[in-house]
Amino acid sequence: MLKGKLKLPLPVPDKARRAFPDRLGSLVAGFDGKEEEYGGGSDLVVFEPGEELETFQPNGFVSDKESDGVENFVEDRPRPEKDGAGPVSTVQVIAVDEKRSDLEYELSRPEINLEKLQRIASAGLPDGGGLRATAWKLLLGYLPTSRDLWEKELTENRQKYAKLKEELLLSPLPWTNGNLESRQSELTRRKDEAFSYKEQDVDVDVDGPLRRHEISQEDHPLSLGKASAWHQYFQYTEMVEQIDRDLQRTHPDKKFFSGETSFSRKNRQAMKNILLLFAKLNPAIRYVQGMNEVLAPIYYVFSTDTDEKNAANAEADSFSCFVRLLSDSVDHFCQQLDNSAVGILSTLTRLSDLLKANNEELWRHLELTNKVRPQFYAFRWITLLLTQEFDFQPILRIWDCLLGNPFGVQDMLLRVCCAMLLCVKSRLLSGDFVANLKLLQHYPDINIEHLLRVAQDLSPDTSSYRLSP
Amino acid sequence: MEVHDYLKTLCPDLHITRGEYDEEMRYPETKTLTIGQFKLGLCHGHQVIPWGDLDSLAMLQRQLDVDILVTGHTHQFTAYKHEGGVVINPGSATGAYSSITYDVNPSFVLMDIDGLRVVVYVYELIDGEVKVDKIDFKKTTTASH
Repeated sequence: MLKGKLKLPLPVPDKARRAFPDRLGSLVAGFDGKEEEYGGGSDLVVFEPGEELETFQPNGFVSDKESDGVENFVEDRPRPEKDGAGPVSTVQVIAVDEKRSDLEYELSRPEINLEKLQRIASAGLPDGGGLRATAWKLLLGYLPTSRDLWEKELTENRQKYAKLKEELLLSPLPWTNGNLESRQSELTRRKDEAFSYKEQDVDVDVDGPLRRHEISQEDHPLSLGKASAWHQYFQYTEMVEQIDRDLQRTHPDKKFFSGETSFSRKNRQAMKNILLLFAKLNPAIRYVQGMNEVLAPIYYVFSTDTDEKNAANAEADSFSCFVRLLSDSVDHFCQQLDNSAVGILSTLTRLSDLLKANNEELWRHLELTNKVRPQFYAFRWITLLLTQEFDFQPILRIWDCLLGNPFGVQDMLLRVCCAMLLCVKSRLLSGDFVANLKLLQHYPDINIEHLLRVAQDLSPDTSSYRLSP
Repeated sequence: MEVHDYLKTLCPDLHITRGEYDEEMRYPETKTLTIGQFKLGLCHGHQVIPWGDLDSLAMLQRQLDVDILVTGHTHQFTAYKHEGGVVINPGSATGAYSSITYDVNPSFVLMDIDGLRVVVYVYELIDGEVKVDKIDFKKTTTASH
């Protein structure tokens, strides 16, 4: 493993500003062969490289300023003439292996350097093995940076989850046949109470007309009152059905989620538990359609961890990480907050501002000429963290970048959204309201590495510049 | 026919037994079904003479071998327990005059069958207002039916 600085014989870092075909990127993200949006000068944003760019350009340019050990890649200088896929060269395989071993090294240290990890993640984490799972857990703050605390944290959190499940989802009561999954415990508690007082004052064994009792708190099945346990029960049942329906439709092309195998069913059941628990713990938001999509990548990555213990506890770990991930953007799901400073509309305005700051021409065309407001296309991009706009593998790669951003997921999310607009700029500029809306609501396949590079190099919208907590 | 279709939209799982005036539709005289831990029997009741007589209904219940007998015809709500089980007459949902009396308050019943116990919610329209109350009973596991 080459840890020292590597001086490449060819261009000086200045020329790094020209974009080259990113073969490493295509290797990691899965080459999709569609480079239409790529290459032409008008589409690319030529920019001043930021600090980040200089230190770990995947193309292998190493800045002379870098003095501590930074991951380097052994790679030929990519020649501009040679674009397109082509067979994967040994050089590229070595580069990927390098990256993997760098990550392994970082993750094996007793005290994880979070900044380093963020940088590695932003460049893309390797598929397969447990590296991505562990990295995500660290980036979300689920795992502490001190390795020797991992065992303790994990055990505690997993136990907490099991307890929560028991309390809120499976309340075993001796007098039922056990299948209480759909019963709200409040309802059964009230029934319990009703029965306990009755037992005392009436001898149930006597024949005769059955006594009629008053109902307290409007607690009958047709009650629409909020205090009614019945009303809550029916609402809850409806929500459970909605969750079931949404889970059936999650990634129908992947065997992990879809179909009637016991494997996919087990996965859907685990995700259902997580979503139900979240809804119960957050009555102000409960379950919103699409949360299943945000959960899916997390649960998938954790379940496919090659470490058996981790994979077996994927449900508990996914729950915690799902909560952490959503806590950043939970306000977006609350309708009452829509118009507030923390609500979705405010975030969409920030997206507009970001676009304006980076490409006024496009901004003007979309907002003023076309009147294509972000509300019409970016609502889903933002609330669902882009899970509906790309295929599964690219989502994982994009999330590597979102999670690896030192300024937080939301910051990078807005950047990626802005980059999505910039990458189809020429099509947008020549389109009208209908065509542009259609394009943005069905975002085309593009080279993900390119997209992410554009995102990383945007000028930040300094009005809302803040460090992540 | 219309009412049948309407009821089906409320719940596809519909069980009907023949009433006094049901001539066109071919409904059975009695029906039994199992819900949870309970066996239920349905019978309109015009066949059981004297009408509304508890002993006669209890006999029918034993014949059908059910825990709960749901019956009607009298258009009067009753809920009665005897050693053979429970007889429930939800009354008339429309408040139509019965063969017995003009004085009918519209009523119906929702039964919540949950394990070994049942909560019966009785909905009655009295003087323009909907009144709801309930009845609880349990099935003891040692009961022999």
